Amino acid sequence: MLTAVDDAAARLGLHAGLALTQARAMHPALDTVPEDTNADAQLLEDIADWCLRYTPLVACDAPDGLLLDITGCAHLYGGEKTLVADLAARLTRAGLACSIAVAGSIGAAYAAARYGAAWSHANGEERKLLSPLPLAALRLEGSTVASLARVGLKQVGDIIDLPRAPLTARFGAAVMRQLDRALALEDEPLTPRLPVAPYVAEQRFPEPIAREEDVLLVTERLADRLKLALERRGDGARRIELTLFRTDGAVRRIAAGTSRPVRDPGEIRALFTERLAALSDALDPGFGFDMARLSVLIAEASAPEQIGIGGGDELKEMNRLVDRLSARLGGQRVRRLVAQDSHQPEIASIAVPAQATGTDGGWAAFRRYRNDVELAPRPLRLLARPEPIETVAEVPDGPPLRFRWRRALHEVILADGPERIEGAWWSEHGGPARDYFRVEDRTGLRFWLFRAGLYRDLAPGGSAPAWFVHGMFA
Amino acid sequence: MIEELRQRLRGLERPPGLEDGPAALPLGADAVDRALGGGLMRGALHEIAALGEAHAAAATGFVAGVAARAAAHLVWIAEDMAALESGAPYGLGLDGFGLAPERLVTVAVAQRRDLLWAMEEALRCRAVACVVGEMRHGALDAVAVRRLSLAAADTGALALILRAMPGDDASTAATRWIVGAASAEGDAPRVMAQLVRNRRGPRGQWILEWSDSDGRFTLAAHAQPVAAPPVHRPHRQIARSVA
Repeated sequence: MLTAVDDAAARLGLHAGLALTQARAMHPALDTVPEDTNADAQLLEDIADWCLRYTPLVACDAPDGLLLDITGCAHLYGGEKTLVADLAARLTRAGLACSIAVAGSIGAAYAAARYGAAWSHANGEERKLLSPLPLAALRLEGSTVASLARVGLKQVGDIIDLPRAPLTARFGAAVMRQLDRALALEDEPLTPRLPVAPYVAEQRFPEPIAREEDVLLVTERLADRLKLALERRGDGARRIELTLFRTDGAVRRIAAGTSRPVRDPGEIRALFTERLAALSDALDPGFGFDMARLSVLIAEASAPEQIGIGGGDELKEMNRLVDRLSARLGGQRVRRLVAQDSHQPEIASIAVPAQATGTDGGWAAFRRYRNDVELAPRPLRLLARPEPIETVAEVPDGPPLRFRWRRALHEVILADGPERIEGAWWSEHGGPARDYFRVEDRTGLRFWLFRAGLYRDLAPGGSAPAWFVHGMFA
Repeated sequence: MIEELRQRLRGLERPPGLEDGPAALPLGADAVDRALGGGLMRGALHEIAALGEAHAAAATGFVAGVAARAAAHLVWIAEDMAALESGAPYGLGLDGFGLAPERLVTVAVAQRRDLLWAMEEALRCRAVACVVGEMRHGALDAVAVRRLSLAAADTGALALILRAMPGDDASTAATRWIVGAASAEGDAPRVMAQLVRNRRGPRGQWILEWSDSDGRFTLAAHAQPVAAPPVHRPHRQIARSVA
């Protein structure tokens, strides 16, 4: 079946919905391409990204439409007319057929673009625009349109002045709601595809730029413009995105995070220097970028800078390093250790992304606790997960006499324990209680071993508790 | 009077343990510090290798002790494989060592290139006093060592390479150590440290005990000087038998 036809095919009398065999019979030389809905959706998203050059509020109206909220943006292009002309020219140049309309409501613009009315309509003209159009222009379901047609209602003008209650009773509330929305009597929010950034600066280039240094220079200039806005509201950027619009329509988005609110253009430039260096695929400017936009995706209140008090500089330097490393390697790879209030060794100290944490990390509290309970020594290295070992141990709760780990046999000469650590009995996933031992083998290697489960809890006939190595001491 | 205040002010303005700090970081054990000419040179690269994979924790202990003495901020960069094979440095254990985990930033890297880049980047940060780069097998090329040494010399930070086993490459690090476990009689961590390359003095071998209450290494009291255990290098044996 044909799902879409181009202009040339349409002139030959072909139309969507025609069976392929029939179309072939009519025109044996017909050139067909199998439908690929995924590729279509991807193309629509790419175009949506590209449309960000006109407004940050772009929504996909699948399968083949885009909604742009150009409120307050049109004047940047010298008015709605030039904006539409620019959009149409660029899309046509890219080989895309398009039909564009500007109106005061989503419904009216939809109807005008798809059912061939004039391209622009001022607010309040929706009624005049919609009246001659078929009911399908109201974005109603096919079955509703069909049943309305059965009673002779075919155009929007037919229902626009009808008493509402009987219509609603017979055809459902959707008809009136869609009509009201198209007439701009009811508000219809546009759900943008991407969150709208609180701070945005952009720059168009008469001559496309291609070199990485130029991109960075532009980034710094844009950051400089954002700085004023950020300062005015006492904000700093925590997450920044650089959007580069290539002349051929491709759009590249590159984001970078920071460990604390930032507004210094130099620092922002340094962040993107690392991000660009870390890109797995090169920036690939093609014939160059003709527009760049820098958006602050997440802003946070930033304390006024304190100058010249000792210690502050060091911390700032450290944060800068964390940002640089995170930008290049990924925020998940740069971490700080945090102490948690837990007996479970795996949870008592965890590594969290350094950009997300402060610098204390709960260690002062841990030290107080350790001194209070005289906590037994903890290993210097902890395995990602405990590794099972074969042991010969004293029953029921003695230390192992020898054990085999990673194919090496270790003869235990010193052992200290057990230190019992209860499992998380309140949780479904909590394991059994563990008895930890510090042992030393004949060569002086020291291990942190545990027995998972106690002999006294053993079910009759059950297998003996398993042993694991969990960490190593120096 | 005013001169005295100026002097005090100068003292306050100086970042602790950095540019003007002592060039050598004493380990605490006199015999070792004498051999080193005062201690481990700051602003230089030092290589610490575990005697074998099983001795990773001992080598980590030696590095943790040095890092704890270096104070200030510390960056610990490890290859993913290292953490997978020998476990990751454990916060509670480090804290027990006197190395405050809040001063530590850990970085996980997937490949050698990233390890060297991150080390250099961290060494060039003035707030960082010590950078540890933990790597597994493979050689460390001379250019990388040179770059890291230069970066360390710029800021006076201590660059430490922690290897899972001794390398065969003739690295140009200021000192090279091979560290293995040593039998301990008490709770105190104890390691056998062999100094196999020392640009500024003799080589040596000591059994060092870490005292976390003083934050320094001491020579183990009753430890006999031990003969160096043979380093296990199967690939060399194979090479010889083939030849």
